[in-house]
Formats: sequence, structure tokens, C-alpha cells
Amino acid sequence: MNWGAFALSLRLAASVTVILLVAGLPLAWWLARLRSRWKPLLESVVALPLVLPPTVLGFYILILTGPRTAIGRVYQSWTGSTLPFTFAGLLVASVLYSLPFAVQPFAAGFAGVDARLVEAAAMCGAGTWKTFVRVVLPLSASSIVTGAVLSFAHTLGEFGVVLMVGGNIPGVTRTVSIDIYDHVQALDFRAANQTSALLLLFSFFLLSATYYWNRRAAAALLEGGIRP
Amino acid sequence: MPNATDVRRGTGLSVSLEKWLGEFRLELEFTAGGRRLGILGPSGAGKSLALRSIAGLETPTRGRIELNGRVLFDAADHINVPSRERRAGMLFQHYALFPHMTVAQNVGFGLGRLAAAEREARVRGLLARMHLDDLAARYPRQLSGGQQQRVALARALATEPEILLLDEPLSALDFHLRGLVEKELLDALADFCGLTLYVSHSLEDVYRMCDEILVLARGRVAAFGPKEEIFRHPPTAEVARLTGCKNISRARPVEEGAVEALDWGVRLEVHQPPAKARQVGIRANHISFVDEPGGVNVFPCTLVESTETPFRRTLYLRLQGENSSGGQLQAEILKYRWEELKHQPMPWHVRLDPELVFVAVD
Repeated sequence: MNWGAFALSLRLAASVTVILLVAGLPLAWWLARLRSRWKPLLESVVALPLVLPPTVLGFYILILTGPRTAIGRVYQSWTGSTLPFTFAGLLVASVLYSLPFAVQPFAAGFAGVDARLVEAAAMCGAGTWKTFVRVVLPLSASSIVTGAVLSFAHTLGEFGVVLMVGGNIPGVTRTVSIDIYDHVQALDFRAANQTSALLLLFSFFLLSATYYWNRRAAAALLEGGIRP
Repeated sequence: MPNATDVRRGTGLSVSLEKWLGEFRLELEFTAGGRRLGILGPSGAGKSLALRSIAGLETPTRGRIELNGRVLFDAADHINVPSRERRAGMLFQHYALFPHMTVAQNVGFGLGRLAAAEREARVRGLLARMHLDDLAARYPRQLSGGQQQRVALARALATEPEILLLDEPLSALDFHLRGLVEKELLDALADFCGLTLYVSHSLEDVYRMCDEILVLARGRVAAFGPKEEIFRHPPTAEVARLTGCKNISRARPVEEGAVEALDWGVRLEVHQPPAKARQVGIRANHISFVDEPGGVNVFPCTLVESTETPFRRTLYLRLQGENSSGGQLQAEILKYRWEELKHQPMPWHVRLDPELVFVAVD
């Protein structure tokens, strides 16, 4: 069992989840309240990674962040290295790839918060930030947990984008899924099976724990006072 | 009456706005100096839109809103004070209490700027005033409709607003609770010294709660003034109908102090100047029955039909005038009067008291 690959995947998934919580929550809040004719276009952009083959996304990230583009050159002048084939590059690619898995549940949760409660908060003198933190976030807690868990689990299992952008560098970009691929290539089915089974069990546990939590949270909110 | 000088001195609400919403157009123009103004109108008249525009939850297409000398909105000057800074408290139709907060947290929500001790004291005071002391730790779901309303009112009053906006506050309640809750609401409002706008489609609620009434119909102000004035002399047939008048007839002036009611086929003496009369009307409960024919505005009639409510009886009558054209009148009498009346032989005699008959120009 390659525990290094596991540790790397967990580190990547945790980082992606944190970044998506920090950036995805405001983005989703903005999207949920946006009244613009461009909204469907923006929603499409966010949802694109759901339908694109990871290789397409990976290919463009590779090109865009490579040393020949402005973005790549700025990054290189700041850090002294290029994005592709580094952990940072993997992080950028994974955040983009998992974006809809976070933003869509977040936005659905926000849209489900009664607009009158937001108005009531404003009439009580609350600004956008206070309303968001004290009213909107608590009332969409289960959607936020769902989005975070989905981002985590999805990053844990990604393959195509990692291979395109990160390559296969042990300890740097060789994640669990690449590790499994390597074992299969080497016809080491026993090792591949061990790692795959572990990933399968872990993901299943994560999702079922989340769904149970959501059920209890919904029941608790009902006790507390949400009108059905 | 609304007093323009009051507003110039800096007290009161002055509104002049237009709001276009698809096909619908709201045109609102009034100046309220009194304490409690009722906005009455059928559903779809634009009542809630008017209230939400004053609250800052909707942005008018054009116009100006001024409260106690402060400009809240001015389209020409690009002033649009956000809701949170308008110093307006709002009671939403279904109260919109925060479901994940206790009663005390709901009431204290707008008091974040106060020090903790002061905030607690203010919340305690409000809860005591609204008889909610024992419910401070409860969640909205665990409260009755009347209790929820008191929490919502306490929350709206907590920030010491200059104006209180009530959007159909009684309509979410069961009928048997309304009387009680209405009484509580009146008591709670008694201490509030700012201006209150009370939106409702129920003329009885508005009449009981307010001093002045603004009647809104199809997005326009159909009448505005002291409630007694509007109920006694509705300026138009539409306002008469919206304020519950059941008997309206087309009319034309015939001589000084009299009109001809065309739909009823009779000549009526009236006390209002009849020169411009196009409509004439009388409320169902203002029609009285007399024992003898003769006298001013006394007419023989026959009963066509009658229906009953628990305490009253509604009678549909046809007048027997010189040129009766078959229009019916609706009269409402108490049950005991009906018991006396129903054994008497037809025709009966009704009296349309000239003092209670009103004429309208349109």
C-alpha cells in the first residue's frame, strides 16, 4: 500500500475543500441573488467541469499556466517555478474541476432561504455580511456541508486532470488514483485492488455520514422552528 | 387631515412615487401627518408594493420619499437610502421570524451595535411589554400565531424606528383569534409614538386600527382622508364599493337638494350638494324600516330574498317607486328586528335618511 499517495490525496482534497469554502460561498451567494440576463451564461461556466472530459480541462489549464502565457510568466517571476507538474498546479486545476460540486449545492441552499428572512434582516438594520453570516449560512448549513463533502470526495477520486496537469511525480503529484493506474499498468492487480477498495470504502463512509448528518440537521431545524 | 406644514417642519411621511412592474403601474401620492394611516384596497391594488417601496425593499421607478425631514428616496437626485438605514420597522404578513433563533435572539437581532448589557436590558424590556417574558428561550415554531406576531412586533420596535409598516398583520390568523390579537396589537401600538402604516384588504380591520385611510385601487389613490369622512361621503362609487357599500345607483340631479336614483326609480332628498351627482348610495346598515308610509325618502318595498349571518339578516328589497326599474336594495338588520318585521304584511316601508345618503361624482 502506497500511504504516501494517500496522504497526498488527502492533503489535496482538504486544501481544495478549504479554498472552495472560502471562494465558493461568496460566489454562490452572488450567483443566487444575481438578477442579470447573463446569469445563465455564468451558471454554465461554473457547471462546465461537470460535463467536460477532464482531459479537456486539464489540457487548457496546462496551456494557460505554461511558461508561454502571461499568467504562466507572472507566476514564474513570482515563485521561480511553473505551475504544471507541481502541487500548486494540481491545486489550481482541482479547484476549477471541483467548482460545480461546491457552488451548485451552496447556491441551491441559498436560493432555498426564504427571501422574506433576508428582507427582515435588512429591516432590522443588518448589512449584507451580517445577514449572510447570521441568517443565510445557518439556514443553508446542510447544503454547505453537502457541497464541502462532495468537493472533498470528488477531488480524492479525480484522475484525468491530475494526470494532465500534475503528471506522475511521487510525493508531489502522484495521487491515489494515479497510484492505482500505475499498479494496473504494472499488472499488479493485488495492490490496485487494495488501494481501490480502500478508496471505495472511504468515499462510501464519507457520503453516508454526510447524508445521515443532513437528515438529523433537518430534523433539528424542524424542532427549532422552520415551517415545513 | 394630513398637514403639509407638519411635513415641512420635519414630521411625517411624504410620498410621491411611480413604480412600474410589468403591466402594472403604481402611482402613489400622499402626505401623512397623523399617527395611524390605513392603506385599504382589494388584492392586486398595489398595497404591498407601496409599503415595500417605502421600506426600501422595492425601488420606485421615479419619485421621492421623505420621512421626518430625511430624504429616503429621490430618483432625480439618485438618493436611495438602503432599507437598513431607513429607520423603518416592518411587520411582515407571515412575520418572517428567524426560525433558527430563539424569541430573545429574534428581538435582539437588530441591536448588535449596543453593548451586551444594554442589549439584554432592551430585549428584556420589550419582552415584558409584549407579555413574552416566559417565552424568551422558545423557538418561533413553538409559538402560537398571536405570540409570533408579538415577537415580530417586538423585533420591529427594538431598533426604535420612526415609522412602523404593517403588512396585513392579521390575515395569517385563524378567524377566532383575530379579535384577541387585534386588541393586543392595538395595545402594543399605543406606546409607539411614530407613524404607523397599516396595510389591509379588510375594511373593518383598517377602520378599527387607523385614524386616516388611503384607498388604493388599481395602483392609484382613490381616496385619502379621515376614516369617518371616507365612510360617510365616499368621493366615488368605486371607493364606496371598496369601503363596503352595497347600494349604489346611477343618479342625476333634479333640483336643489334632490337627485333621481335611476337604478332604483325614485327621487331622493340628499344633504350633500347634488349638482355634480352621477352616483348615489347608502350603506346596507343605514336603511331603516318605518311603520307608516309618508315622510322624507320613505318608499314602499317588497322582499325579494333574505340571507342570514349569526347575528344579522340581510334583506334584498325592491322599491315600488313611480317608475321603478327593478334595481334591488340590500338592507342589513339585527335578528330581533327581523323577528318583528317578518310578520308584517307587505309592502313594507324603508327610509333612506337624507343624512346617510351620499352622492358621488363618478
